[in-house]
Amino acid sequence: MSTTHSTGEGLTAEEAARLSPEEAMIAGAEADGVYIVHRRERFPIAGTKAEKRAERTIAGVFLLGFLAAIGFIVVFCGAVPYEWKLPGAGNQNYRYFTPLVGGLLGLSLACIGIGVVLWAKWLLPEEEAVQDRHDGASGMTEQILMGGTLVSGFNDLGVARRSMLKTTLGLAGGALGLVPLVALVGAMIKKPGRGEGQSLFHTPYKAGVPLVYYDGRRVSPNDLQPGGIATVFPGVEGGVKDSDSPTLLIRLKPGQTVKARKNQADYGWGDYVAYSKICTHAGCPASLYEQKTGRLLCPCHQSQFDVLQDAKPVFGPATRSLPKLPLTVEMVDGKQYFTAKGDFPEAIGPSFWERP
Amino acid sequence: MTDEDYLDADADLGFAPAVVDDAGRTAATAARRRGGFRRRAASLAVLIGALTTVGGGYAMLAPSSGADDTAATSQDVEAGRQLYNTSCITCHGANLEGVTGRGPTLVGTGSADVYFQVSTGRMPAPVQGALELRKVPKYTEEQILQLGAFVQSKGGGPEVPAADAKLRAGSDALGDGGELFRLNCASCHGATAHGAPLSAGKVAPDLYRSTDRQLYTAMLVGPENMPVFSNNQITPEQKQAIIAYVQTMKQAKDPGGAGLGRIGPVAEGLVIWTAGLGVLMVSILWIGARL
Amino acid sequence: MTTTSDDLSKSPTVKGPKRFDKPRTPIGKAGRWSEDRLGAAGGMRKQLNKVFPDHWSFMMGEIALYSFIILILSGTFLTFFFDASMSEVRYDGSYVPLDGVEMSRAYASTLDISFDVRGGLVMRQIHHWAALLFMAAMLIHMFRVFFTGAFRKPRELNWLIGLGLITLGLVEGFAGYSLPDDLLSGTGLRIAAAIMQSIPVIGSWAEFLVFGGKFPGTVIIGRLYIVHVLLVPGILAGLIGAHMALLIKQKHTEFPGPGKTEQTVSGERMYPTYGMKAGGFFFIVFAVCAALGGLAQINPVWLFGPYNPAQVSSGSQPDWYIGFLDGSTRLFPSWEIRLFDHTIPPLFWPTLVLPGILFTLAGAYPFLEAKFTGDKSAHNLLQRPRDVPVRTGLGAMAITFYGVLLISGGNDLIAKAFDISLNAMTWAGRICLLVLPPLAYAITYKICLGLQRHDREVLEHGIETGIIKLLPNGEFIEVHQPLGPVDDHGHGQLQYAGSKVPKKMNELGNPHGSKIRGFFYPVREKSDIQAELDALAAAEARGEHRQKELTD
Repeated sequence: MSTTHSTGEGLTAEEAARLSPEEAMIAGAEADGVYIVHRRERFPIAGTKAEKRAERTIAGVFLLGFLAAIGFIVVFCGAVPYEWKLPGAGNQNYRYFTPLVGGLLGLSLACIGIGVVLWAKWLLPEEEAVQDRHDGASGMTEQILMGGTLVSGFNDLGVARRSMLKTTLGLAGGALGLVPLVALVGAMIKKPGRGEGQSLFHTPYKAGVPLVYYDGRRVSPNDLQPGGIATVFPGVEGGVKDSDSPTLLIRLKPGQTVKARKNQADYGWGDYVAYSKICTHAGCPASLYEQKTGRLLCPCHQSQFDVLQDAKPVFGPATRSLPKLPLTVEMVDGKQYFTAKGDFPEAIGPSFWERP
Repeated sequence: MTDEDYLDADADLGFAPAVVDDAGRTAATAARRRGGFRRRAASLAVLIGALTTVGGGYAMLAPSSGADDTAATSQDVEAGRQLYNTSCITCHGANLEGVTGRGPTLVGTGSADVYFQVSTGRMPAPVQGALELRKVPKYTEEQILQLGAFVQSKGGGPEVPAADAKLRAGSDALGDGGELFRLNCASCHGATAHGAPLSAGKVAPDLYRSTDRQLYTAMLVGPENMPVFSNNQITPEQKQAIIAYVQTMKQAKDPGGAGLGRIGPVAEGLVIWTAGLGVLMVSILWIGARL
Repeated sequence: MTTTSDDLSKSPTVKGPKRFDKPRTPIGKAGRWSEDRLGAAGGMRKQLNKVFPDHWSFMMGEIALYSFIILILSGTFLTFFFDASMSEVRYDGSYVPLDGVEMSRAYASTLDISFDVRGGLVMRQIHHWAALLFMAAMLIHMFRVFFTGAFRKPRELNWLIGLGLITLGLVEGFAGYSLPDDLLSGTGLRIAAAIMQSIPVIGSWAEFLVFGGKFPGTVIIGRLYIVHVLLVPGILAGLIGAHMALLIKQKHTEFPGPGKTEQTVSGERMYPTYGMKAGGFFFIVFAVCAALGGLAQINPVWLFGPYNPAQVSSGSQPDWYIGFLDGSTRLFPSWEIRLFDHTIPPLFWPTLVLPGILFTLAGAYPFLEAKFTGDKSAHNLLQRPRDVPVRTGLGAMAITFYGVLLISGGNDLIAKAFDISLNAMTWAGRICLLVLPPLAYAITYKICLGLQRHDREVLEHGIETGIIKLLPNGEFIEVHQPLGPVDDHGHGQLQYAGSKVPKKMNELGNPHGSKIRGFFYPVREKSDIQAELDALAAAEARGEHRQKELTD
């Protein structure tokens, strides 16, 4: 301990008023259980060249921060345009706006931060202090008195012997405590499948529903080449936006045959097959189609379905084949167009508890 | 050019697509298979008449632009044959019929396929096996078109668009192009065209170096494992919109600073752990005490 | 001196500026004004005098705290412009490639912030980078606490609060990046819906409750918005407050060393030194976030397009802190449980059960360790990781497990970049997940033991000085510098005390063990070390120590 003064407890106001600020600090610290074990001015002699150099460096850092902040304001308020432009359609300098704004802001903040830290490291006195922890449980007397306070209050309430009050309060409080949970959950809860278009087992496809592209055009068997693939939708109101509807229409190459699932051999038409695009693992569109190998890859978790085995999963975490859409064609104005023969025979997309 | 000059009502391509049936065979071979001399003779006459009309009409009315590379002259075909016999015949056979174990048939693949494969350097292939990766092309543009003309003359197929053909839509079609790109292309090539792996070592390449013509022919032809997007499915206008979108996206600057390869959260996570935490760890070591 | 009154006006000796009861300066007057009302002088002084140990590894939690503040500031800016509505509109803003495209108001307002609000893009990017930094900082802070044993009694509660902060941070980040309703985050939301659906018995009910119906419904973005700007930040702020309050009450732990005891804490006082350093560091953290926010583009949602359930991009990943769940999902085999017309899908195990087990194990760890080591006492001094090889090995095992999952989350990008088969990457991930963690444990354990042995060897035999001496009998020996008094055999008698053992000559003389010179400024100056050396020499002259100069 380097202090030679008495601790704060013994000091009168008069004595304290006569202390220098540093002495007062040390005394106050001791009163707080903090002992300054080492304290050394970094520049005991004021005004040396070294001190001036340190000050100037820190001042320079702050000045740079000031300039960077001014630069930020200037750039932000219009010195650099920020409106996006098509490539080749005019000044492309907008791409410098965000980097300049962020960079100058970062520089300004960094200068303040570095300057402040340098101030602490170079100019503040070097100090080491030790503080009593006074941790652990409170003194035994305190604990006993606290315990007594609790017990006394408990006795005053008489809860122990007023069992009728205890039970009924418990019932009331417990029930009321459930109310917020019930209100929130009760308002939000919905029976799965209840409501128009909410079924987990059905999509908008039905017998006779035409297949359309995203822009609404009907799909014709002449549209795709062998080895071609198209994303199609049910041609009903909202079919293009429905999240369960995206369907992959695949035209097989000559020599490619599908080993169909039980009872689904007639679901294709000609060399066309159609599967639900929604991966049966986690619901991403599984649409990376390799036309030569017949593999369908889902990009999210790398499940792979073999179209030639009727979209059976052959790699990755998926466990169920992609549901197959039964296809047929109808003639309209002398041209053939695809329609569905019915809905998918099973729930599409990721599995859930109620799915058999 | 007016629409009547073309067999196909699809506008603005600058070339007459060959007449092909579903299996990619020309009308001539289909007619042969159908049998019947008179029928064959009649279809041949019709074909020759149609081609003459179209070819003649085109030759009369097409604006000459120096290298008129759509009208495949017999010199082009001959030059193409020479090139073919130098580089392609070993694996693809003297009559483009293919050689088992070495290369598939080129009958019906068309000049579009030739253009795509050779202009991206994939063909001639130095080794057998995975062919998805782009290399430095071995031939000049003129030679590639000659080669394509030769293959086209031998077996027909989708044709490469002319040099002056409109392949890129205007900026008002960018919205549609983007939607089409995201629906049909992004799942393999990535929303930012950075490419992706396919199953078991195959690759869908990035589109960073693809030209308009390469994009167009790739969609038309479906090279390697890429699906075939015929003009009835994705119309030429839609293809032009897609091309406009891809090329605009590639050329557009990143407004938010360094693009980090436009890869996404993986690159961003790497940056925060290396640059972000790296700088902060250095400052922590500077500020804090060492034990 | 006889007056004991606090009334200085009566004192004959105290005059002038020292008249504390009648201040003249503005600061003095302000201080008097608040003191008369709040009476906080004593209490505030106590807080200002608090001692904080300033070891560098204690500052990582500060990064998390400061990035939280930055998130609040930048996030508030964003709330003034973001519209969390799923109503469909046709885009009509500056970004031409999306002109006329149908999208939700949420996505359209995000595009507006990015292209039509001055400085909007840099604010969005600062916000997102700060979020990534928040999670990374919490993780490294957690590992520092783990490896040094700071979670032991009495700080188990703080450990649990910290785990709660990490879990809430995951939820907050997921909700935040899902708000723009772009293709990338929408794909993630689809997967989240599938995860909810995969819960046995109540899965479809859970999904319908959260989404208000089948995916995607029309309410989820609005609900995520309230979770993201009100509910979770509120809970986070409360938990951070509790975390800091416990820290203030229990005081920070510190590494063992000369003069350090269980009953004291040493370091710097809060005011002015530690406060300056901490405040300066806040600006540095802010600077890093701002610089990244401007110079490195993050989450360019305009390139991904609006969310459409029929579309997906290859190479889709969540933000890095969710990446380990993406990895576990990719690696988990296609095992589905079907019983009596019901299904437990394979998605359930890697996305819900696995993190549940991981977080439960992490939360239970302080209590498990106390039970298995039989250590029931409170600790305020930390342990060096090498001194607890089992715990350090377990930590290395956990990091390896997490790391394999994290890398597997991006296995398609790695496959593309390095021309590796995608299928091979999946299999490699599965095998590494099972093989590498036990290997990491074994290797780390051995390394810890080796380091411990080296510490004791140096204590016994002294520091290898690197000076080679040729003895008269022709033998070459390396001169060792003993660390303290030696016995008759020349072996040191100092016991290992849990603190760093100097291993280089450069580290001698400084009780904190660090080198004398260097960019990283030491705590003690050379003049003090000289003073101590002088004192030591004086003691030796008095015959209090016997030191042998040479030892081998």
